[in-house]
Amino acid sequence: MPRPGAVIEVDRNTPPVLFHYGEGVRLERLPFGARIVYPPDPLDAIAHPERAIKRALAKPLEDDPLKSLLRKGMKLTIAFDDLSLPLPPMAAPDVRQLVMEEVIDMAAEAGIEDIHLIAALGLHRRMTEDEIRHIVGERIFSTFWPDRLYQHDGEDPELNVYIGKTAEGEEVTLHKRAAESDLVVYVNLTLVPMDGGHKSMSTGLASYRGIRAHHNVKTLLGSRSYMNPPDSALHHSCIRQGQLIEDTVRVFHIETTVNNHAFPSIANFMQKRETDWTAQDQAMFLGMKQMTDLAPPAFKRNIFHAMRAPYGLTSVQAGQVDAVHEKTMEAVRNQLTVRVEGQTDIVTLGVPYLGPYNVNSPMNPVLVVCMGVGYMFNFYRGKPVLRKGGVLILTHPCRYEFDAVQHPSYIDFYDEVLADTTDPAEIEKKYELRFAEDPWFRQLYRKSHAYHGVHPFYAWYWAAHAMEHAGDIIIVGGEREVVHRLGFKSATTLEDAFEMAEQTVGRHPSVTHMRMPPIMLADVE
Amino acid sequence: MATSALSMLKLGDVAEPELPTRDWVRVMPTLSGVCGSDLAAIGGHASLYLDPLTSYPFVPGHEVVGTLEDGTRVVVEPALGCKVRGVEPPCPRCAEGRPGLCYNVTEGPIEVGLQTGYCKDTGGGWGEVLVAHPSQLHVVPSTLSDEAAVLIEPFACCVHAALRGGATKDDIVVVSGAGTIGLLTVAAVKLFTPPKRLIAVAKHPTQRDLARKLGADQVISPGEVFQRIRFATGARRLDGMNKSLLLGGADVTFECVGRADTLNDAVRYTREGGTVVAVGMPGEEKVDWAPIWQRELTVMGAYAYGAEPKKKGRRAFELAMEAAPGLHLETLTGPLFGLGEYRDAIAYAMSAGRLGAVKVAFDLRGLRA
Amino acid sequence: MTWYSGQGGLTGLVRAAGRIADDVRRVRRGWHWDTPRPHTWPEQGAVVPAPASDLGWARQEPVRSIRYLIQRGLLLPFTEVMAHPKVEGREWVRELERPVIFAANHSSHADTSLILHALTDRARERTVVAAAADYWFKRPLLGNIVSLFLNTFPFSRTGGAQAQLHSSSQLLKSGWNLVLFPEGSRSPDGRIQEFKPGVGHLANETGTPVVPMHIRGAYQIMPRNQKLPLPGPARVRIGKPMSPQPKEGSREFTARVEKAVRALATEPRQPEIQGTWIERWQASKPRDLRYED
Repeated sequence: MPRPGAVIEVDRNTPPVLFHYGEGVRLERLPFGARIVYPPDPLDAIAHPERAIKRALAKPLEDDPLKSLLRKGMKLTIAFDDLSLPLPPMAAPDVRQLVMEEVIDMAAEAGIEDIHLIAALGLHRRMTEDEIRHIVGERIFSTFWPDRLYQHDGEDPELNVYIGKTAEGEEVTLHKRAAESDLVVYVNLTLVPMDGGHKSMSTGLASYRGIRAHHNVKTLLGSRSYMNPPDSALHHSCIRQGQLIEDTVRVFHIETTVNNHAFPSIANFMQKRETDWTAQDQAMFLGMKQMTDLAPPAFKRNIFHAMRAPYGLTSVQAGQVDAVHEKTMEAVRNQLTVRVEGQTDIVTLGVPYLGPYNVNSPMNPVLVVCMGVGYMFNFYRGKPVLRKGGVLILTHPCRYEFDAVQHPSYIDFYDEVLADTTDPAEIEKKYELRFAEDPWFRQLYRKSHAYHGVHPFYAWYWAAHAMEHAGDIIIVGGEREVVHRLGFKSATTLEDAFEMAEQTVGRHPSVTHMRMPPIMLADVE
Repeated sequence: MATSALSMLKLGDVAEPELPTRDWVRVMPTLSGVCGSDLAAIGGHASLYLDPLTSYPFVPGHEVVGTLEDGTRVVVEPALGCKVRGVEPPCPRCAEGRPGLCYNVTEGPIEVGLQTGYCKDTGGGWGEVLVAHPSQLHVVPSTLSDEAAVLIEPFACCVHAALRGGATKDDIVVVSGAGTIGLLTVAAVKLFTPPKRLIAVAKHPTQRDLARKLGADQVISPGEVFQRIRFATGARRLDGMNKSLLLGGADVTFECVGRADTLNDAVRYTREGGTVVAVGMPGEEKVDWAPIWQRELTVMGAYAYGAEPKKKGRRAFELAMEAAPGLHLETLTGPLFGLGEYRDAIAYAMSAGRLGAVKVAFDLRGLRA
Repeated sequence: MTWYSGQGGLTGLVRAAGRIADDVRRVRRGWHWDTPRPHTWPEQGAVVPAPASDLGWARQEPVRSIRYLIQRGLLLPFTEVMAHPKVEGREWVRELERPVIFAANHSSHADTSLILHALTDRARERTVVAAAADYWFKRPLLGNIVSLFLNTFPFSRTGGAQAQLHSSSQLLKSGWNLVLFPEGSRSPDGRIQEFKPGVGHLANETGTPVVPMHIRGAYQIMPRNQKLPLPGPARVRIGKPMSPQPKEGSREFTARVEKAVRALATEPRQPEIQGTWIERWQASKPRDLRYED
């Protein structure tokens, strides 16, 4: 019986808490009276996913059954989310694969000749063949690759067509194939409340011109938070763009949700609450800690990035985007929401080894900020768990290591931009355009496996809200120079960090530790 | 090793140099700098090309500020051209005003030698007295201290190099190396041919600070040249089996180190059709000529000083003396050593960058108490 | 550098040992090894249900997790580097609801690693390999090492059908996939030898489908008389699962399995089917008669 999320107060008997330290794990003792917020247990998965998918496609929400929409001779395009979701990557078969196989079966029966599959990656990096194979499965890959299964290229001058402007003046572009199709089927996997809905089409198949309308400092400061669409200026903008797209192209959305069973049985101790740890979990933790302390980084990386999450499908719905997304949000909130009463002076977070933008690569310092100060801070609804002016404490080794293939623009962002200033608004004004239009970054994005030149800026803006909200941000265990370049304070141990925090929040502050991952959404009173 | 008992360099008493003709005068050095070329000669890794242009034994020291017998402070311009040697008519290079490139260095009342400090008969800065032709002497104004004046000679070389490099206001200039020559090139380029952006490549923290003070827009370290120059110039970068190259790159590069690895880097990050100026004295270095050929680079040497056509024939030395007071060059000079401490001085100069120094010099004031 | 200077290897070891002792102490105190579970702790919840019953020490928990690490960190990368195996037909093993018997040709000791590499993670976690008792389990240490790395169990090659069946069928009934080499021993020249009837017996007795597999290239990597493996390309083909027909005898079924494996050896690559994508899609369908029952 899956338990809901819980808030536990630390007392004499409480075991130490697991903190993720990037590619490493530690046990830390929190002060008495601190709160630990645990995510809900993973909900039971649907026993027969294919049946659920078939049912959803046969009885969509506010739309006709998919079969009836497929006619011979039509131009069909299937778009799907890229590998920034789910995290960690899902054990085969991926949910998107199951959905797409159903859709393609129907298309084959209807005799549709003209069908294309596009990985809707927006300005993310192109995936390798193996990574695509992992998402779509061997059967789809061998049938359609490479002429009918390909990846979106946001910088192709021919393939990105201008759709129009929204009422607020936001420009909208769309992939040419999608714009000219009779039907676009979007296969989405919603892991967190930020995904899905109108955001799918308006960012996944867009270009820099369209995305800059909402990926900017002003919009992100107005998104409190972007994990809660009603309060998020980012989503309001995406919705406007999405509505314009829906007026132009017929789109059939299929959205799926999964539970938060993020770790395989070998890493059960990461999934379970500390009070539930069996002797075996404790042994696994000790083994993992020694291995991460002693092993060389490349070896560790292979082990960590090889973990596949045994996610289970919890819901699937199809049809008209607003109706579908409402149900999806319900299911996601069902799995993720934890009630937290009141804000605190200090919030501690252990930054894990994996974020959406470093699948199969190290988490460079800019992405540490994106993950910890950005995503993890923003997993709230209502008010942040941290009070205004409070101190945010993160743990991560924060090494100067960048993947030259996946993150070339990040290196220059760190060396040139952050050396000058760390203020998001100034960074946007002085440097964003230059990176966005640099021909080398453009070439690497289009031909190699690099994130778009402007992407590190988005990673930084993602943390803008927290930078404005928190009084101080301290990183524990990081390399001093790196942490200072990021504009934060550096501490060696968690205890020292608490002591440094007392300068800002006074003696005897209230502390909350968000025991993430697995992911949760804090509903703050 | 370079200054041990087995070395070619010895401290001792020798006969004072004689005046070759009546117009020559005696100069008593006050401060005398230790130059990279001196270190190369002492350390044994100077190019053998220079051997026929030198006469032995010689007293080293060509960066000299001293006094005449009547007490006037002068800086010595070391080049021994036709005028100094009394050769009429002057060779074409001396006629142009380029005594450093003189054809007649074997003629005249003194032995062969390109400069004072490499000639048997003139003496040199690292001694109590040397002899100089009046055309070699420049009076030091009172606005310039001795410590600043000792840098006039290297500064003049850098001014000459900057003018030869000819950077325009739309150019991105890279100055590779931040020893004396590198830092003074930064200053010279900024003053005489101010570019759009000047990037200095410096290894050591003191050098980085000084480069910035002297006017570099950006200071980078040698390991990251390709990445940072690529970003600054918006070029594309291709990585090869041993080194990277840029498609595009810096417009003018001043190579002030003179070693194989920096020279090879320079020919790969200077843009196609660009210019590489070898300012610092190089030795026999192995440089890959393929980039020079394929990129149609102009590779030019910049040696010594002379009349500058771009400045209406005014001499580099004069331009240097004019610009010097504004630059507070004395901050670059130090530490000072007595002649007796020459071994420490040479050792210090050989690691100057790492030890936080720029121009190590001999202080000869103590000798004439 | 003296032994007491604090810089040597011995000091490093001592320091590491101290760290490990510290960690263990922390865990011990944190989880109250010496005292009963504190009543202030909330109710215990299980996240993952306990796995199905096991057979033998090698299939119990700490060993399984260690094997996961060994396979993921050592064995599979090593196999990848040595052989860059190309796998065809992985979709047949993607969703195995029931345990199956993998019947493969045997030409080299490298076969098992290649088979394990070709399986999906979920299938591999539930797979056990039959290893000849008289070869591998004669010397106790070798048997244990192989069991740790590859999840083997002793399979007697001699003795009658009954002897062979017992442990295998127990494992199959417990939900383990079984890897079997029906040839009995490694082929001396790389060609497929005649299949022994044991696989048919097992399939009939336990009602388990058989998945034929063919491995090419393993003989070149490590033939019968060679001690060390040499790198070389390999290809693993996984075929459609097959079950015995209602009245089919064990020998006939075994012969059919042998024919399927030989067919896999020679079959040209499937996706080279010309025609529209629809034709290719239908042709690669694994689903309509997944298990022929």
